Amino acid sequence: MKTLLFIGFLLLIGLWYLSFSATRLDRLHHRVETSWANLDVLLQKRAAIALEIAHSDLADPASSMLLTGAAYQARDANVKNRSMAESGLSGALGLIIADGLPHATDSEQALLQELSALTAKIRVAISIHTDAVSSTQMVRNKFVVKTFRLAGTAPLPVTYEFESDVL
Amino acid sequence: MLTKKLKIGIVCPYGWDTPGGVQNHVRDLAEFLIAAGHKVSVLAPAIDEELLPDYVVSAGKPISIPYNGAVARVLFGPIAYARVRQWIGSGEFDLLHLHEPAIPSISLLACWAAEGPMVGTFHAAAKRQKVIFAIGPILEPAIEKLSARIAVSEAARLTLTDHLETDAIVVPNGIYAKRYSAGNFQEKWAGNTIGFIGRFEEPRKGLQVLLDALPIIARFAPDVKVFVAGPGDPKEFEKVIDPQLRDRFEFLGRISEQEKADFMSSVSLYVAPNTGGESFGIILAEALAGGACVVASDIPAFDSLLGGGEFGALFESENSTDLAKVIIDLLRDETKRKELASAGKKHAQVFDWDVVAEQIFSIYEMAIVGGKGVSLSSDGRAWGRFLSRDEEKK
Repeated sequence: MKTLLFIGFLLLIGLWYLSFSATRLDRLHHRVETSWANLDVLLQKRAAIALEIAHSDLADPASSMLLTGAAYQARDANVKNRSMAESGLSGALGLIIADGLPHATDSEQALLQELSALTAKIRVAISIHTDAVSSTQMVRNKFVVKTFRLAGTAPLPVTYEFESDVL
Repeated sequence: MLTKKLKIGIVCPYGWDTPGGVQNHVRDLAEFLIAAGHKVSVLAPAIDEELLPDYVVSAGKPISIPYNGAVARVLFGPIAYARVRQWIGSGEFDLLHLHEPAIPSISLLACWAAEGPMVGTFHAAAKRQKVIFAIGPILEPAIEKLSARIAVSEAARLTLTDHLETDAIVVPNGIYAKRYSAGNFQEKWAGNTIGFIGRFEEPRKGLQVLLDALPIIARFAPDVKVFVAGPGDPKEFEKVIDPQLRDRFEFLGRISEQEKADFMSSVSLYVAPNTGGESFGIILAEALAGGACVVASDIPAFDSLLGGGEFGALFESENSTDLAKVIIDLLRDETKRKELASAGKKHAQVFDWDVVAEQIFSIYEMAIVGGKGVSLSSDGRAWGRFLSRDEEKK
């Protein structure tokens, strides 16, 4: 009788642990999704600003072409190519900023300021997102999670290799 | 800045009535947010509930435990947990901001009890401690609920990555830079003077290092005077001071914020000989904002705050000979002193609340996206659903 009770108790704890892990994982997936949504919005905004810069006098025709191309690529990239496309855009923006600053008018200056504020936010968003992704990956590698398929059909979140030196 | 007004719940782990860096930070942040039009409620332990400002809710009386080389006044236990749950449940917050959620305190309890957008700020910097590795697996599920983590300094961030394997965004502590830059020059503190502010009885504040350096300094600058401000009983120190140098010391006791601003703009040098245990060094930021020429020990927090010596002079920590050398050099060289002070004053603007609060805001914004506000935890969500289904059947 005693052993039966004991086994029952262990089963209960096991069940509780499974449910606890499942909730934990669900919460992490949610975090990954929201942090990605955040980052996505900011990156879209950046692409829009990049296009605006490309159309302004800040950019000579050649760099304007480069920037426009990079911005469209970043906007249209699928999940797999996204981080590479965004790094390309960072690089193109970096080129313009490096030599476009001294002769900027007031409105262009405002544009550049908006860009640098956005860049600071993107940096924060990237770090929040990578953190969420790595926590999720860690939990998904756990024995219980794998054995009992607690993740269900949710796809394994991908790490985005954003260049750490985005502007 | 945020256009939408938020309802923010802030949890302060340490007793509200005891002075301390975290409490000051929480108070300033709460007042800044309220002034910006947000609704703020702070949950903190408190000894005397009647003295609390109206935005603070008491969680009960704190107890003292030794932590990180000092005595921490914190609170936990089942009654505190019930209070925390009640505060979260009735608060209808858009966001919770938990301070120091990795120590046993109401911050950790709140992290455990709540569900939704949460931001955590980590203040402490500590050396690798085995005990934290032992409790790491317990903390992990709670800490990973935070949507974003803030560390107040690079040292605090390293502590976090070491102990809990998670990264954080560095946002410095805030000061009201304008208040300090408006200090009046006071003749009584001017001349060949050295200033020190802090709880000088605590060994880690390092007043002893300055005491040991003084005989050497007095040989080169016979008219040097040291002003020590801060709470504490100076009698112990007066006993160990060389009798010939005793009149070189003056203990001012606690001074007001305005006096602090005057103090910083009047003394020739502000010295921070702390031997460790500092994570950020808010007093240095205040000294810089007040236009003082700063001399500080080269512990990691001070080194990074002073830009490796760009905004203030550094000396080898706990080495009183080196401290004496640096002080004598600076007392003799007024141009160098002025240069350091003006570079420091410029740099101090990055610690101004206007700048710091905006950074914190943008992190809040990211944390609340897609969230439906803060609710009580649903760790037992499956069970809850299961039970309520049973009830429906009846």
